[in-house]
Amino acid sequence: MKKTATRMALLFIVPLLCACAQYENQRGVDVNWQNDITGRLVKDKSTRQDVLALLGPPSQIISLDNESVLYYLFEHSQGEGLILILYNRMRINTRYDRAVFFFDENDVLIDYATHIYDPDAS
Amino acid sequence: MPSEWSKLLLLVYCLLLGGCITQWHYDLGARIDASEQSLPPAGTTLAATLLQFGPPHRMSASDTGYVLAWEHWNVSEISVGFSLGAAGADFLSVDWGRMRAKGEFILMTFDHHNLVSAAARSEWDSNRGGGQAVQPFFGFVSVVDADDLVRRMHQHNWGMGVLSPPTQTLNRDSSPYTGQAGLEQRGTPRGVGQQSLEMH
Repeated sequence: MKKTATRMALLFIVPLLCACAQYENQRGVDVNWQNDITGRLVKDKSTRQDVLALLGPPSQIISLDNESVLYYLFEHSQGEGLILILYNRMRINTRYDRAVFFFDENDVLIDYATHIYDPDAS
Repeated sequence: MPSEWSKLLLLVYCLLLGGCITQWHYDLGARIDASEQSLPPAGTTLAATLLQFGPPHRMSASDTGYVLAWEHWNVSEISVGFSLGAAGADFLSVDWGRMRAKGEFILMTFDHHNLVSAAARSEWDSNRGGGQAVQPFFGFVSVVDADDLVRRMHQHNWGMGVLSPPTQTLNRDSSPYTGQAGLEQRGTPRGVGQQSLEMH
């Protein structure tokens, strides 16, 4: 009887000492640079205004010599934690969805590139 | 029965009292999968480069054009600690920790005609420090510090740059975080070089 009670107590207490955690953190601008949206942009024709109208304000504006760049960034961190008191492990994966647009001195789009993290592809 | 409970409580108490191993793993970005041979030669267009590598993680204007950089970091941190803190006594902690980082970094410079003028790649897998400590009364220091390697991208703070402390605002034109005065890798010491005037 005593042993059974002890085992039951152990079964009850040990799980209480363990824990798991999940963590998520998102920073940056909304991801609006899917292919169907950026597909409306045409190199050497679309303007900075077109890009701003489609994507909104960027994370950063960079001035080059006669050109300028709009940089969009969305940072997404996901973490998982296993807490076993004696051994604890945390794993955090951070991915960067980003888009960069280059404009000439007349504010015409000369080049751009986009990237959206695809968890299925990793 | 009381003796059984005593043993059980003692076991739980020892678990809380004793040491523990803690591991942190950070994976920042995705692998670039580029070899030295796959770097574009001088004269390659911006369009071809973006097609091959995608949008850069970092970029900045430079005197001769601009620079783009791609990076991937994998930081592992392990610490072993023994403390009485869980028992309600905030003294006597013994800690040991190590940190390791591996990753790759590609830097390309472009001229005013949007052509590659130079490209370089580095890859590393190295010990990034650690330590051990016996702190009898108060825990003053952490033996492993990966904060400067895993912090958020600086682009998020670009708009707030002018609201920084005066020393940093005065140095804004030379800051590697504005995209106008070069860039720097994660973990670059601030005590010397471009940011030393910011008095970190």
